[in-house]
Amino acid sequence: MSTKMAAMILAGGKGTRLKALTRKIAKPAVSYGGKYRIIDFPLSNCANSGINDVGVLTQYESSVLNGYIGNGEKWGLNGVRSLTSVLTPKQTEEGSAWYLGTADAIYQNLDWLDMIDPEYVLILSGDHIYSCTYNDMLKKAEENRADCAIAVYEVPMEEASRFGILTTDSKDNIVAFHEKPKNPDSNLASMGIYIFKYSTLAAELRADAKDEKSDHDFGKNIIPKMLSEKKKMVAYRYHGYWRDVGTVASLHAANMDLLLKKDDATNLYTVQGANKIYSEDSNSAPQYIGRKAVVEDCLINQGATILGKVSHCVISGEVFVDEGAVCENAVLMHGVRVGKGAKVYDALVGPSSHVDPGQVVNAEHDGIALVANASKEDL
Amino acid sequence: MKKNEVIGLVDFYNAPELGELTENRSLGSTSFLGRYAFCDFALSNFTNSDIPTVGLLIKKHQRSIMKHLGSMSSWITNTKVGSQRILVNENGVLNPLTNTDVANIRENDWVLYDSNASYIVFQSAHIVANVDIRPILKEHIARHEKITSVYTKIKDASQEFERGTLVRVDGDGYITSVKQNDHLKEEALASMEIWIINRTVLAEIIQRRAVWNERAGMQEILKELLYDGSYKVHGYEWKGDYVRSFDSFDHYIRYCTELLNPEVAAKLFDPEWPHYTLTHDTPPALYGEDARVVNSFVANGAVVEGTVENSILSRDVRIAKGATVKNCIIFSNVKIAEGAHLENCLIDKYSIIQKDVEFHGDPMKYAYLKQGTIL
Repeated sequence: MSTKMAAMILAGGKGTRLKALTRKIAKPAVSYGGKYRIIDFPLSNCANSGINDVGVLTQYESSVLNGYIGNGEKWGLNGVRSLTSVLTPKQTEEGSAWYLGTADAIYQNLDWLDMIDPEYVLILSGDHIYSCTYNDMLKKAEENRADCAIAVYEVPMEEASRFGILTTDSKDNIVAFHEKPKNPDSNLASMGIYIFKYSTLAAELRADAKDEKSDHDFGKNIIPKMLSEKKKMVAYRYHGYWRDVGTVASLHAANMDLLLKKDDATNLYTVQGANKIYSEDSNSAPQYIGRKAVVEDCLINQGATILGKVSHCVISGEVFVDEGAVCENAVLMHGVRVGKGAKVYDALVGPSSHVDPGQVVNAEHDGIALVANASKEDL
Repeated sequence: MKKNEVIGLVDFYNAPELGELTENRSLGSTSFLGRYAFCDFALSNFTNSDIPTVGLLIKKHQRSIMKHLGSMSSWITNTKVGSQRILVNENGVLNPLTNTDVANIRENDWVLYDSNASYIVFQSAHIVANVDIRPILKEHIARHEKITSVYTKIKDASQEFERGTLVRVDGDGYITSVKQNDHLKEEALASMEIWIINRTVLAEIIQRRAVWNERAGMQEILKELLYDGSYKVHGYEWKGDYVRSFDSFDHYIRYCTELLNPEVAAKLFDPEWPHYTLTHDTPPALYGEDARVVNSFVANGAVVEGTVENSILSRDVRIAKGATVKNCIIFSNVKIAEGAHLENCLIDKYSIIQKDVEFHGDPMKYAYLKQGTIL
């Protein structure tokens, strides 16, 4: 049976601005929303789109991520017609090399794609948070007989100079692309989600690989070159929740977006509908809320034990908040322990970190504090 | 241990009926603490004891059991070396009198004849304890026993294992007598309904016994063996901290709510002994700004905006603003509307409690609202 579309998820990024959170794990493996890792989102989206073949390209600190992805079972991508592969840099006859850029990473795995021989290839970032299916985007690419469709997101005009900006004609045909333009003429930001006709993509990547001046990057090289070659390229407008969390503060904010609000439809219960986000099941004990506990405006995963006060928090499994402790506006990742009488304000507490009894974190409410003091073995 | 040296069987035949709660389901697949079914504990004991080949001896109500077990990948350690199979006795459904675990094993006789296993281990689904089978098996092998039966010391036979079996053991570690619990207010040795039997011995017993009494199940047969002296039954005392036999509706309520005490819960929930269960991929529990929750278990998928005290909430439960739930056990997909007030009840799946409805059970005797109730 021929394959309509395979997905390639770029998951090699370090995420430097997440500081200690990505010291031992790649950004796509960073935990989010009490029970997930960020990469659960693109992988679940693939599963919910009926995509059976998914390659995950890893490079930086890949042990945790590779183990997590396994055979794709957590997302149901291990059925009889499915193939989930972790694709790391490899040795070949020509020698060995790291992935030099996003385009090079795909280029080095053209043999994997050739095995599947799909009509289209979907290229995704492993570190974006959004719940959707890619079926409408594929439909748009097919109907327009496009060589490439790029998902775009409308950003406020004054912020447009921070993004890769696409300019389109009235029929959504892409006419120009500018990386971080000083004077943007459009507010359509590229989401780094591409659907390519596979034959075109393979040819472009092979040509790019020979170009010694190229950075081998989709945004910088492949897309501008295809535009200059007058390839048919269309924009697909995405309207929905979408976040590229690059910093501690933006990761914290994206967690808080999941809380229950009157007028906002960003929590997981309203967003996901029939499209569940799949993840690892932790075999935890039930979540226990203690006799003296106060829990308000929170998202709390199974395995957590709350004996103190938690308010406006996102709390992962195996977290323990002791009596008399107070956590406000905080993200407590897996296995965090907050000791008796400790106070945690406006903070993101990394996996297995400890807040000692009586300790106060961020008393001054100075931005979002990062606590990450787990020993290496605990990560 | 060689691979597949042991077959584990979870025996659903011994599970007691808990009235309306188990009218349409087996106790083994009944909801427990918001996220488990009872059989998860016996299955996890096999998984954690490195026993990958497991069968479930099902008496009736396959529907609810199959729904819970799904592809059974939640419990399995190696999908090729091991297997988990549901064993059903089709004839038994039509002939309730002869629908015994023994008849089921005869029907599924690969257990007896078409396996390389040396030992068959039985567990009952309604007795909850973290039991490592390995040391028991080790002793069984070291002593060259043919049959081992596991028992535990209970403090008060009038309160515990009320529908269970009490045993006596001699100085050599053999069981000398078994009897129905006669509820005396005293210490006793209660059978945990865990048996290790050499496969060839089990085949021989079943072949011989089943011929003259088609109604006898494993429990009756083991009892008879004691008295006719054809086999000695070795008694193994299990000395763990937490064991409960969920053998009545009152025990179900009492044992569930007792686990809200962290000291009791710590005995059952051991990070080194995980309890595997089916995942439903529900998001973490969500609490609103006005939520007030104390002393409760809350499962993933629950959205709480009201007041919850001393209660157990399962997956996909909704507690609306202004609703109050006290001393309740609420099964999955139950919706409690604004202003509703509930106390001392067990509300079964898919029920809806409408706006401002009040409903109280007795603190000593919880009310039961069956599946799909609309109040």
